[in-house]
Amino acid sequence: MLHYLIRRLGIGLLTLLLITFLVYGLVRHMPGTPLTADPSMMDPSKQITPEEIVRLEKLYGFDKPWYQAYFVWLNNVVRFDLGKSISQNNASVSKLIADRIPATMLLSISSLVLTYLFSIPIGLWSTVKSGSKAERTVSSILYMLYSLPSFVAALFLQILFAVKLGWLPLFGMTGDDFESLSMMGKAWDIFLHAAMPIACFTYGSLAYYSRFIRANMQEVVRQDYIRTARAKGVSPTNIVVHHAFRNTLIPLVTLIGLTLPSLLSGAVILEQIFTWPGMGRLYFEAIGRRDYDTIMGLTLIFSVLTLLGQLLADVLYAVVDPRVTYH
Amino acid sequence: MTNDAQLTTEPAASRGFWGEAWQRFRRRKLGMAAMLFVVFLCLVATFAPMIVGTKPIVCKYQGKIYFPAMGYYVRSWENPIFRKDRFRNTYPKNLKKKDPESWALWPLVYQDPYRRVRDDEWPGRPGNPSGTKGHPSGLNFFGTDQVGFDVFAQLVHGTQIALSVGFISMSIAGVIGITIGALAGYLGGWVDVVLSRVIELVMCIPSLVLILALVAMLDEVSNFHLMAIVGITSWTGIARLARAEFMKLKQMEFIVAARAMGASQWRIMFRHVLRNALAPILVPITFGIAAAILIESGLSYLGFGASPPNPSWGTLLKSGRSAIQQTWWLIVFPGTAIFLTVLAYNLIGEGLQEATDPRLRQDSH
Repeated sequence: MLHYLIRRLGIGLLTLLLITFLVYGLVRHMPGTPLTADPSMMDPSKQITPEEIVRLEKLYGFDKPWYQAYFVWLNNVVRFDLGKSISQNNASVSKLIADRIPATMLLSISSLVLTYLFSIPIGLWSTVKSGSKAERTVSSILYMLYSLPSFVAALFLQILFAVKLGWLPLFGMTGDDFESLSMMGKAWDIFLHAAMPIACFTYGSLAYYSRFIRANMQEVVRQDYIRTARAKGVSPTNIVVHHAFRNTLIPLVTLIGLTLPSLLSGAVILEQIFTWPGMGRLYFEAIGRRDYDTIMGLTLIFSVLTLLGQLLADVLYAVVDPRVTYH
Repeated sequence: MTNDAQLTTEPAASRGFWGEAWQRFRRRKLGMAAMLFVVFLCLVATFAPMIVGTKPIVCKYQGKIYFPAMGYYVRSWENPIFRKDRFRNTYPKNLKKKDPESWALWPLVYQDPYRRVRDDEWPGRPGNPSGTKGHPSGLNFFGTDQVGFDVFAQLVHGTQIALSVGFISMSIAGVIGITIGALAGYLGGWVDVVLSRVIELVMCIPSLVLILALVAMLDEVSNFHLMAIVGITSWTGIARLARAEFMKLKQMEFIVAARAMGASQWRIMFRHVLRNALAPILVPITFGIAAAILIESGLSYLGFGASPPNPSWGTLLKSGRSAIQQTWWLIVFPGTAIFLTVLAYNLIGEGLQEATDPRLRQDSH
């Protein structure tokens, strides 16, 4: 196992190097630099002279070819320095990203918990009631939800709950009077703002997981050991929960690892719609401003998460299934 | 020789694999409904300028027959005589004024996806409202956007973008994915090791990150750029599946037989193996079409889509979002169009999976 882990980590590091090298090349080939793409530079009073631009380009290393600049960046990253955001007054990128992590985590963790909380009962219920009218209706609704693009759903929800009914705030993470609220009031305010984004994050994976559990269960309930259990006189609930469900856990567990990265990086459009101050929005803003170091920092984090998620999936696989061993 | 004679006297050939699959697919009501919907969308996309437009489908002008509506497909297919005669895109009045003898066959709805219809352009007909006043009405079925462009016209013409993005980007992804998967799976050895690493590497790059970075590199984005970018970022699933299928099939007896008969490697790969691997590979391609349509509309929504004028469904959503308090029709109609199209492709993909996968077939009996 240890050997396997070390080999996987080694391959992972190599992959990481290749990905960042590739993305660095792409980013440096976008038209414009952080010095020219910043909208505030359009302001005549703040405009910098061509000589100043040349001086700044030298300072930030834009005069070097990108593959050389990549190794400067890499050298800093190895020393835990993600660089500075030029377009945000040279703020440190690690701090910029750290500021955005809680907002994204709030959405992704709540949605992950909600997904598992609802999809397992729904999946089991639809296995037991398989073929009944209620089950077919629920399955069709879930299928529709699975095909409903989350950003379309987000806009529909905004029209319904924010514009027509006025129950929920349209966007943002906190209201205007957030500072003056009490502790409970603050929590409630954030909850109201987060309700629609969380719903949009959750429903798709909820539909996917429930269908996934149901499909796996249907394969399992045909097995001989289920028939044996039934013949022994085990109660139907017991069969479904103890005998069948335990055996569908294997693919379910590996799904956690695979969905982990998409929870963070798949949020670009949704965070944009809800003006949610998370990492996806930061990435989007950074692309627009050609903020090289921020783009690279986020790419690094997203890729690390993807690789870790895959590793986690494989390791968990061995944990839940004693037949799987790694050498 | 005797063998050959026996083969030819056998009873009529049974239905082939695809015939069987089609029989099974046809039994699925939802799959068929989805298929019909996609056929309907294809018809809408093909005949968009005949359904809604401001240029006559056919007209007689100064003794000659012209087809100005063709200009919606390709700008230069509209006869230059109309530009020379200063029609300025307003046909109804100019035709009558410049040639009283002329006649024209008009599209079903007189609206334009690329400009605002002005007052009295069509005799006696008011122009499109602009700003946030363009509610759905008898003249603008789905309302108008902030600059007064008709939403129905944009939806109909946007069907072309949605469908072609899906088909073309997945054709690109299919060609890349099948080639890489076939080489890795069939040749094996170090080729497999290298190609599998490449597949894993591309899979590890968060796709939206890569797509946004690629789109940002372009100065002027066209729909073809988007198709190419979506195509070259979404082939990994197809490649993995193709690799597995090729690995499985290359050990089959009919491949050994083909090799014994002296067929070349390329011939075996693409004539014998690929034919048998095609059905399972088509499933992720169908789901991929749905995903490609989503990515295109998502990018257009973010403002990373094709440069204007571009009547994409995502662009409509974007203009709807900017005035969400008033203009619900800019979100509800294009949003529903995206949803139904994605749903249809997913249903077709699932039908295809169940119709072609022998494992699932046994289950259903």
